Amino acid sequence: MKKSNKQVKRLFSAPADGLTSLGSSLICVFIGLLVGFLIMIFASFSSSLADADPLKGLGYLFSGPFTALDKANDFGNMVFYTVPLIFTSLSVAVAYKTGLFNIGAPGQFLMGTMCALLVALSIDSTSNATQGVFIWILALVIAAIAGILWGLIPGALKAYFGINEVIVAIMTNWIAANIFTWVFSLDNLSFMVNKPGGKSAYLLTTSSTGNGTPNLGLKALTNNSYLDIGIFLAVVIAILCWLLMNKTTLGYSMRACGLNKFSARYAGINDKKNILIAMGLAGALAGLGGALYYLNPGIEIQYQSVYQILPDYGFTGIAGAFLANCNPIACIFAALFIRYINASGTNLVSVGYNRYFADIIVAVIIYLAGFSNFFKGLLIRFKHKDRDAKQASSLYEKILVKGLKTKGGNE
Amino acid sequence: MEEKPQYVIEMRNIVKDFPGIRANDHINLQLKKGEIHSLLGENGAGKSTLMSVLFGLYQPDEGAIYKDGKEVHIKSPNDATALHIGMVHQHFMLVECFSVLDNIILGDEDSHGGWVTKKKARAKCEELMKKYGLEVDLNAKVSDISVGMQQRTEILKMLYRDNDILIFDEPTAVLTPQEIENLMKTMKNMAREGKSILFISHKLNEIMEVADTCTVLRKGKCIGTIATKDTNQQKLAEMMVGREVHFTVPKADAKPGKEVLNVSHLFVKNPYTHKETVKDVSFKVHSGEIVCIAGIEGNGQTELVNAITGLENVKKGNVVLNNIDVTKKSIFTKIKNGMSHIPEDRQKYGLVLDYNIQQNMVIEQYRDKKFSNHGWINFKKRKEYSDQLIKLYDIRTSQGSETITRSMSGGNQQKVIVGRELDKNHSLLVAVQPTRGLDVGAVESIHKKIIADRDKGSAVLLVSLELEEVMNLADKILVMYEGEIVGSFDPKNVTIPELGLYMAGAKRMKVDENGNSLGEGVEKEVATLVEGGHKNEEIK
Repeated sequence: MKKSNKQVKRLFSAPADGLTSLGSSLICVFIGLLVGFLIMIFASFSSSLADADPLKGLGYLFSGPFTALDKANDFGNMVFYTVPLIFTSLSVAVAYKTGLFNIGAPGQFLMGTMCALLVALSIDSTSNATQGVFIWILALVIAAIAGILWGLIPGALKAYFGINEVIVAIMTNWIAANIFTWVFSLDNLSFMVNKPGGKSAYLLTTSSTGNGTPNLGLKALTNNSYLDIGIFLAVVIAILCWLLMNKTTLGYSMRACGLNKFSARYAGINDKKNILIAMGLAGALAGLGGALYYLNPGIEIQYQSVYQILPDYGFTGIAGAFLANCNPIACIFAALFIRYINASGTNLVSVGYNRYFADIIVAVIIYLAGFSNFFKGLLIRFKHKDRDAKQASSLYEKILVKGLKTKGGNE
Repeated sequence: MEEKPQYVIEMRNIVKDFPGIRANDHINLQLKKGEIHSLLGENGAGKSTLMSVLFGLYQPDEGAIYKDGKEVHIKSPNDATALHIGMVHQHFMLVECFSVLDNIILGDEDSHGGWVTKKKARAKCEELMKKYGLEVDLNAKVSDISVGMQQRTEILKMLYRDNDILIFDEPTAVLTPQEIENLMKTMKNMAREGKSILFISHKLNEIMEVADTCTVLRKGKCIGTIATKDTNQQKLAEMMVGREVHFTVPKADAKPGKEVLNVSHLFVKNPYTHKETVKDVSFKVHSGEIVCIAGIEGNGQTELVNAITGLENVKKGNVVLNNIDVTKKSIFTKIKNGMSHIPEDRQKYGLVLDYNIQQNMVIEQYRDKKFSNHGWINFKKRKEYSDQLIKLYDIRTSQGSETITRSMSGGNQQKVIVGRELDKNHSLLVAVQPTRGLDVGAVESIHKKIIADRDKGSAVLLVSLELEEVMNLADKILVMYEGEIVGSFDPKNVTIPELGLYMAGAKRMKVDENGNSLGEGVEKEVATLVEGGHKNEEIK
């Protein structure tokens, strides 16, 4: 019994090797696409979608941004929209590795956006390109700091008072949304409005002040898309996060806290400090994501009643992180993948579906990502082709039913 | 052929393979009616696997199982139950928020028009309780009752289902000495009533006391089946380990040196129940001596150690380590100051189970210059160090330093912790139940290591529930009862029964601040003690 219990544990919680993890993610993707296809077939029976073509729809899901006429532009935009998602995915992943569920990414994202824009929109660099670059960097730094502070609120409450970070982060999300709305209300922003080059009375972009993200010709290369150098920054920071978590003593101690906070405490690791560091870092990442999105000269920010809902980047970041199994480098690919499917959404309209079908598929895939450990178990079983894994997985149910305490055997 | 004794269960040539290991290699087991048959073996010898095969949790790769001479195929625990085979697992399978009676009938309830009726069940349980001397409170919630009573609930569950082949998987590992004694009585009762019992254990004295026959397994192979009346503990141990085993490790007299740990007037309060778990405890531990805290589980030993090591807050009093007051200092500081700690719960505190061996080996020293360079982990040094300790402490692994500790057996997990704590620079070793759940071979090696550590000049504070361990290792014994130190002894001048009286609170003596006995000892009757306790509470 104990032996079997151990086997089950090994099957369902063992850190599988990279290949198995990748395989399990691919299975999730495949089943997600299959379910999407089935839904499209069923939907095509509906009278309102009479002219819908499920086969073509499936094809569009595969071709993603390479469907419509302006493929370069669609691709560029897809990559651009990936950047904030990489950051929010990293934010969730880093916190999760430390044993924290950062549902506060939307709030941190908004605070980063707000502070970056306050800097970038209030200083005019239209006549001085060098200054524009410096202000852009300054805006990023300020955004990161704002994110850190916003992430530290749930972090500190968790570390010092043991208050659940999820509950606090949901609160801080709404506080952030309302602060954002207040700051970008007409009265408060009057000092920024009416800048030369401002697009209209209700919309602002960093193109009006010349502090936008440089694109180094990427924009021209992709037929005037939004693409800028943010993607390079995202990749570099993802690699840095991976190095931090896997190669440094700090990352080692953070992961120890995430895996077993009791033994971390026993070993003299300061778990409070690690919670603060993880939430601060998560906040900085989400804040940077928000800043890099809105600092693009092409992205408009409305300055009135902006956020009655939370930005979905934060929540989709949770999906990205789990699809990536919380591996920072895999976060890049997970985010790219989500955006790839999303990019097909607009094209689905041309075959009779609306764009939310793409969202359904992403949702299914993310839902399945929750089962990634189960798929890993399947893969291991397939690899070894041994009967015990099979027995063990059926045992898993039995054990679940019996409500076995997972304390583990002595033997 | 017909003259062969009829076995209720016969397992013939059972083979069970796991990836990379043959857990059962052509094992034969024969169980007679009304017999207590013990299954003895080291950690990982294949006892549990064999029983899982019998209980239907695994299918054997080869071999067959016969019940009353007929071949049976047991594909799941349901099949086993249908054949009246029952198992008491080491970790109980009880619904905590249900009453004892509800747990017993769960899955086998009588009902009338869709409503569960318990009258008949209650009568049957009461009859069984009387018949076998199993005392439980049928109305109590499982979460409120003691471990011993939970186990009796499990036994009643089996009896309620009219099982006549009962498997006990290391039933004594979680019990106190008194509860063990009761369990032994119950087992004998059941055997007398015609039940056949399979008893998995690696505690030799229990096997000698209760079992009729004993089958010894070693590394998946059946070493032999032997009647207990024809053997002794020493022989059984040799069969099990495959070499000569010393129950008592030879040890020289202690040469206490300078004072390392000084605990003075320590009080600990439970933050939730506000009960004082440690009351005015004072003692000292010097280098080169082993001070052992004995007592029945739950008398404040855990809390005392947690307060010393920093896992729990001190309410009042001081802990001085190497002349530095560390009462309110962080665990990190205490470790820096020379503390090593083998924790009571190795899976909760001792290891990050999902980390591999090398990651666990440096968990207290990962920031040390040896294993890191300006914040970057030095993977090569870490692996070298871990490989070295694996060799030194004879840790059996499947993938060397890369082995995930969750996949290891409890004994080897413990060796990782012991190796890590002993090899680390330290002047104080706090060891809590260092050999809990380990087999005699591993116990012997850990005892040797602890004594060697003392001889190197460490101060050792040992907490153990096993009196034999206490007698073997201690240079000084302190007995804890209800959070207080009620006795201090030299192990040479005291007997186990005498210690037992102090542990049960029947006797007590005054102990001074250094943890030394004051004169002859002040003896009291139990009754007056209990009264005194009540008075204290009233005053509060």
